[in-house]
Amino acid sequence: MSLVGDRRVDPGLSRNRPRGNVGVLRIAVVVLFVVLGARLAQMQLVDGAEYAERSERNRIVVESVSPTRGLIYDRKGQPLVTNSGSFAAMITPSFLPESPTDRYRLYLYLEDLLGVPALQIEEAVTAAEDRGQRDLPVPIARALDRPVALMLQQVAADLPGVTLSVEPRRDYPGGAEFSHILGYVGPQSPDEWRVLQEDGYAFNEAVGKVGVEARYEAILRGVPGRAIREVDAFGDLVTTIESTEPEGGQGVLLSIDSDLQRYVYELLTNTMGEATTAAAVVMSPVTGEVYAIVSVPTYDNNIFSLPDPGEEYQRLLDDPRIPLLHQALSPVAPGSTFKIITAAAALEEGNITRYTQRNVDSTVLEFIGEDGQPYYFYDWRVHGELDLIGAISWSSNIYFYMASCGIPGEGIDGLGANIEQSAIVLGYYARSFGLGQVTGLDIASTESSGVIPSPEWKRRVRSGPLFNPEDRDWYLADTCFMGIGQGDVTATPLQIAVATAAIANGGDLLKPYVTRQVLAADGSVVSTTEPTRERVPVDEQHLAVIRQGMRQSVIDGAASRAALPDLLVAGKTGTAEFVDPEDGVTKERAWFTGFAPYHNPQVVVTVFYDLGVGGTKAAPIAADIIGFFMENVAP
Amino acid sequence: MSRFGVEGTLRAWDRFDAILALAALALVGYGLVLIYSGSLGSYDGPSASLQNPVVRQGLFAFIAIGAMFIISRIDYHALLHYAWWLYGASILLLLVLIPIGQTEFGSTRWFDFGPVQFQPSEFAKIATVLLLARFLSEQGGDARDLRVLGGSLAITAPVLLLVFTQPDLGTSIIFAAIWLGMVVVAGIQRRHLLFFGAVFLALFPFLWTFTVADYQIERISVLLDAEEDPLDAGYNPIQSQIAVGSGQLFGKGLTNGEQTQLDFLKVKTKDFIFSVLGEELGFVGAMALFALFILLLMRGIRAAQIAGDIPGQLVASGVVIMILMQAYINIAVNLSIFPVTGLPLPFVSQGGSSLLTLFIGLGIVQSIVMRHRAYRQF
Repeated sequence: MSLVGDRRVDPGLSRNRPRGNVGVLRIAVVVLFVVLGARLAQMQLVDGAEYAERSERNRIVVESVSPTRGLIYDRKGQPLVTNSGSFAAMITPSFLPESPTDRYRLYLYLEDLLGVPALQIEEAVTAAEDRGQRDLPVPIARALDRPVALMLQQVAADLPGVTLSVEPRRDYPGGAEFSHILGYVGPQSPDEWRVLQEDGYAFNEAVGKVGVEARYEAILRGVPGRAIREVDAFGDLVTTIESTEPEGGQGVLLSIDSDLQRYVYELLTNTMGEATTAAAVVMSPVTGEVYAIVSVPTYDNNIFSLPDPGEEYQRLLDDPRIPLLHQALSPVAPGSTFKIITAAAALEEGNITRYTQRNVDSTVLEFIGEDGQPYYFYDWRVHGELDLIGAISWSSNIYFYMASCGIPGEGIDGLGANIEQSAIVLGYYARSFGLGQVTGLDIASTESSGVIPSPEWKRRVRSGPLFNPEDRDWYLADTCFMGIGQGDVTATPLQIAVATAAIANGGDLLKPYVTRQVLAADGSVVSTTEPTRERVPVDEQHLAVIRQGMRQSVIDGAASRAALPDLLVAGKTGTAEFVDPEDGVTKERAWFTGFAPYHNPQVVVTVFYDLGVGGTKAAPIAADIIGFFMENVAP
Repeated sequence: MSRFGVEGTLRAWDRFDAILALAALALVGYGLVLIYSGSLGSYDGPSASLQNPVVRQGLFAFIAIGAMFIISRIDYHALLHYAWWLYGASILLLLVLIPIGQTEFGSTRWFDFGPVQFQPSEFAKIATVLLLARFLSEQGGDARDLRVLGGSLAITAPVLLLVFTQPDLGTSIIFAAIWLGMVVVAGIQRRHLLFFGAVFLALFPFLWTFTVADYQIERISVLLDAEEDPLDAGYNPIQSQIAVGSGQLFGKGLTNGEQTQLDFLKVKTKDFIFSVLGEELGFVGAMALFALFILLLMRGIRAAQIAGDIPGQLVASGVVIMILMQAYINIAVNLSIFPVTGLPLPFVSQGGSSLLTLFIGLGIVQSIVMRHRAYRQF
């Protein structure tokens, strides 16, 4: 039997049928494969060498075309950032000449042109090659002067591997008072690059590092374009295979009023006195939007656009006041501002009422504790007979000691059945007013959660070789100090503002935000931030009592310097004591938190200085801020 | 007597055409090697995984070969008996595909069943071959009569048009070739052949203008000068030309082709698998592939020649034409002498539907070979 046919068989003719033309099929098979074979021989054997050379040269470069980054505006639509370009000289290692001498000659030429030492260029190229990034352009010199850039552009065509690129740059014209809100962009760290390259980020692309720039990176960045080009062995363009235009990033409209922000910043800076740091928050008790959030000292975020921010940056890191830290998001003892929460807890738990009277006829309260030891608690003045309104108004410590921890053995009940329970109950209310947890303000920052202590917390953090066993125990004083916002309690100015807003608006705990809207390139609104709120577990009538106390405090109490002539302001001062670790002297921190107008709260203001007395230092400044707000910002 | 044949027809497997089957297996094996090389860039999972394209293709081949053995046991007259039903089912599936099929690269050719896809036009090829064979043999296997010719055309035209509108130019050409080849085998008169040629030429400008999709025109015009528009439609032809041409006599070695491994080539385990072969194994490797195809096709033609009766001869011819034209068009696309049509290389390209159809076709051919003495009527 032959492989391809069986000649024994002759189908022959049927009665009326022609012989099946099967032979035609054989001819077709042979003809078609001869055609293919001939074409193949032509391509592979005759023209093969030429194709082989093309295959050798055939290289595809995929370039990411950076989109224009979205802008950030204040609530009136004023831009707080602008985009500009800066020229940079780049080298793509894989397109450099092979021979080291040719390369070095090229580096020397660049040294003449750009003023960058040839050795430094060589190092940068070698480092990139060691990273395995031969095909990525390496920046050799940044922020080139325009004439130099134009000259480089002319000669780059004759310098293999050298290109001129325009790097996008962010300028922040608003001034340093916006730095903590806006943040800045900067080159990716190796860790960021590992993650971001999955999202199609180019190696040299800047990303938001902190602030709104970082928090809204995905919105501001836009969609990069892509150019796929076929290039020859010298990196010169042969054809563009595919190119898509980048899509600019969307804009972000802040709730920040830049006039107010600037006013508050300047006001705080000019009234620092002996204080080294200060913070203020101005927010809406209706929506939670933040009108101004100021931290003193601040820094100039434009330095991160410099070719080399190293020196300036180092200066910021060395500054003992830590300018990079956002003071409004950093924790500190809230002092007497915390009493509004203690009051809410005590009213809701029922261990006091609005009318509960206490006689504070001495600045010292002495009583014998459960352990038989005498305890002494101090007040800042002799208040005489006080009800709750008076206690809030005059910020009586002894009244709030009694309201939180009670006096064991004298028939005055604390918040709970015993001192530990009282602390746990108070902690529950503090947390429900947003303390002890981050507010979630929408700027990428090191927002602190602060501390709301509890017996369990103390056992946990006071363990270890640095502490004695009795350090872990919970004492009467722990609960009492907690009741006046001292001891281990810490809170950020923003948290105090949010808690104040909840009292002002009748019980809505709002999530603060600085971003009102996302805007498309044509200015149309893509999305609007919806306020998010939770209810605090306190009866509305009880909150009204606290508001009344805060109002009374401004009328004729400790906060009277926050009064304004035509506006009903309500507020609470705070003067938190602390021992300065440097000189061992007891010093005070100044707080004020309040709202206005009293009957229809439109604004909450919280002011903090790290040194000073609340009633004299912080309260008048808050009044100025409220005045400015009502005149220039109020809706 | 059974209904369709003589008892004892299958005296043994000894008439089973082992050479035909081995040639097909060799092509599948060749394909597995090329799929391995072509998928190195896109698949980096474990080698023993169902996600591995080589494993998947091996599994499909196993199933397909099983199908070939089962079909070869069935008397092909049973299939011819149901030819109208199979044909009707094909038409139905092609119609159903229009609203619910899977659209890919602008063309709706697939049903998607999760991990498995099914391409009804593959099934329709076999059904059309069977029905044409039955129809022509009922007319005495004689296509000299113009009415017979018209009838056979009427059978082919609906499936051809349905496939054409998917749009799938390549497969509709296969249908046209099947019809043409089978009526030639059935003895079409030369003047009729000339007449159809003239009609086609007369209609050609009309077809070009009104029925060929833009992308097809683009592909065809790109073929005339691939360098003219390297931006878009010309990309694949240029890259496959460079791949094949640069392979030269012996190729660059398996897994060493720059065009293949650096992703210049697209769909390189499917439509452009021949370019992988050309680049990595060169002219010599391509000639080995041609030899396997020619062996397989010649054995298929032998089956047509020794077939016991007219329908057997026609069915075997139809299957041979189907395989021949698919192979020719696919390789011609890779060599840039035919516009890009998206046809797989039979037995070699990755794809389960295609493999299954081909082995079912071979199973029918085996059925014809194994029964050629029982049905001898010439």
